[in-house]
Amino acid sequence: MSELTLLVLKFGFLLLLWVFIFAIVYALRSDLFGRVFRRPDVATGTGPTVSSFPSTPLPTPIGDVTGEASDTARRLIITTGAKAGLEIELTDQPLSIGRSRENGLVIRDDYTSTHHAKLLLWDEGWVIQDLDSTNGTFLGDERVTVPTPVPIGVPVRIGTTSFELRR
Amino acid sequence: MTEPTLVAVNDRPALTKELRLRLRTPAKQRNRELILLLFAFAINLSALTLVELGALGEATGELFGYSVALCALVLVAHVCLRLTAPEADPLILPIATALNGLGIAAIYRIDIYNGAVGWDAASVRQIAWTAIAITIAMAVLVVIRNHRVLLRFRYVVGFTGLALLLLPLIPGIGYAQFGAQLWIRVGPLSFQPGELAKIALAVFFAGYLVEHRDSLTIVGRKVLGMRFPRARDLGPILVAWAAAMAVLIFQRDLGTALLYFGLFLVMLYVATGRVSWVIMGLALFAGGAVLAAQLFSHVAGRFTAWLDAFNQEIYDAIGGSYQLVQGLFGLAQGGLVGTGWGQGRPYLVPLAQSDYVVASLGEELGLAGLFAILALYLLFVARGMRIGFEGTDDFGRLLAVGLSFVVVLQVFIVVGGVTRLIPLTGLTTPFLAAGGSSLVANWIIAALLLRLSDTIRTGPHVVVGP
Repeated sequence: MSELTLLVLKFGFLLLLWVFIFAIVYALRSDLFGRVFRRPDVATGTGPTVSSFPSTPLPTPIGDVTGEASDTARRLIITTGAKAGLEIELTDQPLSIGRSRENGLVIRDDYTSTHHAKLLLWDEGWVIQDLDSTNGTFLGDERVTVPTPVPIGVPVRIGTTSFELRR
Repeated sequence: MTEPTLVAVNDRPALTKELRLRLRTPAKQRNRELILLLFAFAINLSALTLVELGALGEATGELFGYSVALCALVLVAHVCLRLTAPEADPLILPIATALNGLGIAAIYRIDIYNGAVGWDAASVRQIAWTAIAITIAMAVLVVIRNHRVLLRFRYVVGFTGLALLLLPLIPGIGYAQFGAQLWIRVGPLSFQPGELAKIALAVFFAGYLVEHRDSLTIVGRKVLGMRFPRARDLGPILVAWAAAMAVLIFQRDLGTALLYFGLFLVMLYVATGRVSWVIMGLALFAGGAVLAAQLFSHVAGRFTAWLDAFNQEIYDAIGGSYQLVQGLFGLAQGGLVGTGWGQGRPYLVPLAQSDYVVASLGEELGLAGLFAILALYLLFVARGMRIGFEGTDDFGRLLAVGLSFVVVLQVFIVVGGVTRLIPLTGLTTPFLAAGGSSLVANWIIAALLLRLSDTIRTGPHVVVGP
């Protein structure tokens, strides 16, 4: 084996190594420049997306979100409990709440049922429905028995967690 | 028609339908992984061939068959991922495969010089261990379908970790090598149980901290502007840590002690977000290092060899800086692009296959190659941290951070030691160094990270609670 061939092979190998690294970096470019693709949501895709993790939720201007002057809530903010301050952006899809992993919002404490409650959009307003939970869902101080509209800013309590809707 | 037959008739189409659906859904992550795996295979096989060309002048293809078999096994692992974790991170498996293959090539290169063949050759044993490690990783993926199982068994896992640490101290099966009582031997197989203990401790720390984070953060006395937790909140974790430390110091393996200490500190910091922990930990560490240098002669020797490496007396002394300086000479010989596979003399350094594999690779691949390897580690750990960052449940997040930090800290301690940035301690380079226990442990870490990343992409969006 001649010296020259070995030299060429040496550089060839280093090149291969670096091409591999750049191939990996190319594969994770979505991490660096934001997500390029979106997973087609099949069954579990009804959940919301977490927009931010602020300790103090900032009031965001809504002018650019909705053109119409509707009172529909767009955000859900957890006010007490382990994740107080967490903000969830609401879509038009219903949001299921419970202990099980299939729910959009999973609450794991001793008081939450597997499928505890459901938030539904009903004529431009959100409605909470209790799914026969053991310890109940409370809107303000009232236990929810039938699907009840949730006004903006009124706390909904499930177990040790409560949240309210914001525009 | 009776009821049961109805069920049977209805059941079967549902199953086939689901299977068909699963086959038809494009597994984007897995396809990416496959392409990158082909790259990794090319790197591994060409590295082996180049070693033979450089060292022997001809391609004998002695290990080629084994290596191709290993590639096939990695493909099996890929298929296993397609079935059990289709949304798992696509980069972890190719990176681990490439690092593992580079390690095998570096070990093979030393074997050629030593004239070791067959089962005496460390490279053949390394290939066998890689096969075992990948099989165990697949078993982990199949058995642990939901990482929260580990949370439930956190105390069991924690005690198992401590037991594993204690195993080498049992007379009969434990034995000492290089002055450290770290190995157990059952029949012809020797194993270093401490490698597995680090995973067990990471799981235990993550589980315990998730449970007690609030009391660790909020309750406590304030001293000098920093809040210190109550003894009863800290007690169990401190006991576990102190026991691990005591065992390690008793076994005279301070590199691993440093690794556990770093893991403990980082997980505590990530869980509580308190800087006081870092300050307290660093102070404890500095005190411990000074104490160890006073108490143990071999630690003091390491410090002298580090600070005054090029002194002829220390270079010649037993337990002096001979290995360190030889490694540095090797790296210098390698220069920017290295001598080429099989054309350097990495075998001049003691333990060139295990502790000094980084120096071997640095000599033959040069700075360009060594940086490529470090970049691979960086990407691996960056994926792990990313998995932790994106995780929905706090246990998974902490576990991912802990596991990837174990890998990065190990790389830092080894590479820092070899390049004389910090005193040399005997730790294995993840995936690269010769040694079965380390391979098994690191492949299990890879499997757990894959499982965690799959859960994140398929699991719920928001989780309140542990």
